[in-house]
Amino acid sequence: MKADLAPRGLGRPTMTNSWGRALAIALYFAAALLVVAIVAQALIVVEARPQDLITGIHGMADIIRRSMPPDFSRFPSTLWPTLQTVDIALFGTAIGIVIALPLALLAAVNMTPSRYAYYGARGIIGFTRAVPDLVWALLFVTAVGLGPFPGGLALGVHSVGMLGRLFAETIEQMDMAPIQALELTGARRVQVFTHGIIPTILPSLLGISLYRLDENIRSSLVLGFVGAGGIGFQLLTAMNLFQYQEVSLLLIIIFVIVLGAERISAALRERLA
Amino acid sequence: MLRVRGLSLRYPNGTLALTDFELTLAAGEFAVVLGGNGSGKTTLLRCIARTVKPSAGEVWLGDIDLSVLDGEKLRRARLALAMICQHASLVRRRSVLANVATGTLGRHRTLWTALGGLPAAELEAARGHLAEVGLADLAERRAGTLSGGQAQRVSIARALAQRPRVLLADEPVASLDPEAAEDIMRLLQRLARTERIAVLCVLHQVELAYAYADRVIGIRAGRIAFDLPKSQLSREAVHRLYLPAAA
Repeated sequence: MKADLAPRGLGRPTMTNSWGRALAIALYFAAALLVVAIVAQALIVVEARPQDLITGIHGMADIIRRSMPPDFSRFPSTLWPTLQTVDIALFGTAIGIVIALPLALLAAVNMTPSRYAYYGARGIIGFTRAVPDLVWALLFVTAVGLGPFPGGLALGVHSVGMLGRLFAETIEQMDMAPIQALELTGARRVQVFTHGIIPTILPSLLGISLYRLDENIRSSLVLGFVGAGGIGFQLLTAMNLFQYQEVSLLLIIIFVIVLGAERISAALRERLA
Repeated sequence: MLRVRGLSLRYPNGTLALTDFELTLAAGEFAVVLGGNGSGKTTLLRCIARTVKPSAGEVWLGDIDLSVLDGEKLRRARLALAMICQHASLVRRRSVLANVATGTLGRHRTLWTALGGLPAAELEAARGHLAEVGLADLAERRAGTLSGGQAQRVSIARALAQRPRVLLADEPVASLDPEAAEDIMRLLQRLARTERIAVLCVLHQVELAYAYADRVIGIRAGRIAFDLPKSQLSREAVHRLYLPAAA
């Protein structure tokens, strides 16, 4: 009777046990080799040459030396592009929210009115997300010319994809019991939406939107490099003109904007939780 | 008040969940439905509330047959029928008062209510319903902070705000401790007597049925096993309800 109660693995090793263990070790070894092979092919494909980094360090040091000290006399001229950068992100995020919310309702399994609407909405969300914001910016620069407007449009369209997906997932994970209870009281569809669905998911949607705004501020810096205005455009101009002291000032401003946006967004999201 | 005639539900896989169910419930009557797991108790309530369409039979609420209605007509007819479930299903981030007042939404078709607002008069009436369930002082609390028993009382207040003639309760005390369960049963009994609401309550607790029901309906494999006034109900009949199918 005692033998029946003994844990199975503690008995004498059988032939089956030892074969199983050997197979497990072989599998671990094969998995480790596979990881090494994947990393090795990545190094080959990117033509990694660490020695070039060491020999070229003088060039980098030279640029850093020429960037010091930052040219703070240029500060007033950076204020307008800084505001543009933040506003491109705000504009893009606002467009993204307005379009993504109805799309997300169609793209959520528990809310969609039909299969066609579901696949249609998922298709739009997938496409706008798959095309990078930089490509959208190039397209809009071609359409409406240089400046912050194409940058805002690019971030808006790309945000539709990112926000649409996250909004739809939030709606799908929502507790449906209060919604069904409201339907049972005889409330109309629009009332169920405004009195049940919106209060339930609003904090999550606001949290996601704030996170997106934080991401968009970072993206709007880069979009300036393709002519979409803001501080990124000023940074590119300063680099092309070898004005490295202005470059270092702009990098400090970018650092402050990114860190500030990140902290404010995180604090607000924490309050909403 | 509520008449169910020959109600049957066959699932698409062919299983008969409910067979020829007959039931009449008068205003002010408090009936409890007992039965084992999977016997068809919840299915019966869902068919009556028309959250599922029965395969056959009629569900008369006053002089309206719910079983033939759909869409807007069904929504309007169903206003006289409220349902509470095992879990209170409140909107957790809204106040207790707002949750109660949402029970009145079906009667209003204004832009204000479509935009998420609630009529001032209904909010005032909701305070009265909260007082009826003994929670007047919690009106401004967020619903997500309530205990299970309090939340269930709020869901009953929401059902009252609907001004129903029939109240369906699907295991309303299943997740509550014994004291809170007794409170809820006393409340339902009082509402049936004072408000003249016909209450049909599914329970698993046989003793609560003995203590509070006017009538007990036994259901087994989707059919009525008995439908008796509490005074005529034998312990043996209830015991047989829970025996395995082969017994």
